[in-house]
Amino acid sequence: MGIDKHDSVKSLFTAQSAKVNTNRGDAYYEKLYAQCRARLDELKALAPLNNRMDFKESIEEEGLDRRDFMKWASATTAMLMLPASFTPLVAEAAVLMNRVPVIWIELQDCAGNTEALIRSDGPKIDEIILDIISLEFNETLMAAAGHQAEKQLEDAVEHFKGKYLLFVEGSVPMGMDGYYGTIGANGETFIDHLTRLAKDAAAVVAVGSCATFGGIPAAAPNPTDAKGVMDVVKGKPIINIPACPANPSNMVGVILHYVLTGGIPELDSLLRPKFAFGYRIHDNCERRAHFDAGEFVEEWGDEGAKNNFCLYKVGCKGPMTFNNCSIVRYNEGVNWPVGVGRGCIGCSEPDFWDKYAYERPMANANIKAPTGGVEKSVDEFGLGLLTAAGVGIAIHAAASAVAGKKSEEN
Amino acid sequence: MKKEGYKSVKRMTPAMRTIHWVNFFSMIVAIATGLYIGHPYYQSFIADPAVDKYVMAWNRWGHFMVAIIFDVTSIIVAYLYFFSRFEQPWRKVIPTKQNIKEFFEVLLNLLTLNRRKNFDSSHADSFNTVYFTIFHILLAWMLLTGLQLYVHGLASGESSIGAWWPWMLHVATDWTIPVTGGTLMDVRISHHYTMWFIIVWVIFHIYYQVWRTIYWREGDIAIAFGGEKFVKEQKEA
Repeated sequence: MGIDKHDSVKSLFTAQSAKVNTNRGDAYYEKLYAQCRARLDELKALAPLNNRMDFKESIEEEGLDRRDFMKWASATTAMLMLPASFTPLVAEAAVLMNRVPVIWIELQDCAGNTEALIRSDGPKIDEIILDIISLEFNETLMAAAGHQAEKQLEDAVEHFKGKYLLFVEGSVPMGMDGYYGTIGANGETFIDHLTRLAKDAAAVVAVGSCATFGGIPAAAPNPTDAKGVMDVVKGKPIINIPACPANPSNMVGVILHYVLTGGIPELDSLLRPKFAFGYRIHDNCERRAHFDAGEFVEEWGDEGAKNNFCLYKVGCKGPMTFNNCSIVRYNEGVNWPVGVGRGCIGCSEPDFWDKYAYERPMANANIKAPTGGVEKSVDEFGLGLLTAAGVGIAIHAAASAVAGKKSEEN
Repeated sequence: MKKEGYKSVKRMTPAMRTIHWVNFFSMIVAIATGLYIGHPYYQSFIADPAVDKYVMAWNRWGHFMVAIIFDVTSIIVAYLYFFSRFEQPWRKVIPTKQNIKEFFEVLLNLLTLNRRKNFDSSHADSFNTVYFTIFHILLAWMLLTGLQLYVHGLASGESSIGAWWPWMLHVATDWTIPVTGGTLMDVRISHHYTMWFIIVWVIFHIYYQVWRTIYWREGDIAIAFGGEKFVKEQKEA
């Protein structure tokens, strides 16, 4: 956890993560509706930004009709935990998404979140939406390179000062004064790069587990001292969308929420939007009944696996992981890890690589992290302790039997 | 049946003994079910239809039930610790000169295999009281980490007894996350470790009470059953 200690303790004691409130009463939603209406009218008056793509055309080109789009809009409204009456507003907001500038930077990462954003089984509505957002800068997708690319970034920052959403993918290497990661011809460190761009952003969205909690680069022994965005950027609204990769639906959700309301969604104590991370994977898992029944896959490919039994015994970490994979799935609801027959590795939780991503139950994780990390087997330790106590007792008992002195009877 | 020259001393009230044995049974159930929840170590019959087996659910049910019983006895014990009319253990734990001396005298008695016994063994001694206090701290830690793990399942913020319950659990136990290392998994690992500490604690506890019974010859083991032990009558007393 990286938030400042004082802050984190404070936020934990406020118990903000306690409740996902899906019904706030008519008065609240009427007020919100009016607010969103005003915001959308304001955006509509603006010209689209640089992105020339037209949403309606894009949809038609992909062979989707308005009915598909409205189905998507109502599903997204539900995902954002808004009443059904907001569906037309969500549909309108989707069309207006090219009014909100997005700058996407990559730090210490594998570009997996960019891949998640641009690749799927076929462009469906989430992907089209992400195509039409006004993406002003993205190293992987843009044609420009070198000084030209840097120029483009400077222009975007200058032009949209205080208005753009900064999406960050990848962790920040803090070791060696940040020189584990530099970018551009001037060799600017990732730390400087991030703090400079965050300064003029409306909000910072950390996408993927690396940007949120350090992710795989921060796994033991964490050679680069990798940290998440929230450990580096201070004084800006930060939204974390962890998972490896982050689900494009949740990225769309956050942008849509911003377009719709002009604000950031309600967050939990780890700064994750509650609409996506308010529930445990386990509690909405399609295999949950097998968990309760004690029906487990004992080893890969066994009879239980063929019967879609619970993956807990082969290490599923769904019971410890908060995310909406089991509800929205990936690639427009095509499938998700547990659905394809392998357990959850807790990729949206802090320190997931060290503490969650072994394919055994927690009590059987025999990985020993080099920094004396967490995976030392608890049971081995406990048994050792028990043996030590037993040996001590045996010695004392033997010594007592041989040399002990019973209190005199009278 | 009192032996000549011995008098009986009351050491545990019926309430204390009831709590002792409730804890004993709760602990056995909690460990058996807890190990299953951590790693289901026996299998259900694959041919049985799922509707007939509810194995994990029953294990969790049992685990949570004894946990709640444990929690309630802990609250009673915590109350008696300070306000008992019979014996208030906190008086034996505060580091006064006399308590420190007694603590080390009892320890020396154990280490010298009962060759040195310079304390009054008729009442609860400082050493054992400190040892019991450690047990209740371990139990309290199990309670806090366990309820933190439990409240994950109440993500909606609702429960069958109302929203106050998960709210209270969050307020009371969310701090265990940063304290154990920052993730939910750390809480779980800590919960699991603590089980082993408690088992080790129990092993020594049983050994020590049996040892006292054998070497002191004052019937200490009977305290947990009949509430009394016997001590030699002091000449001057």
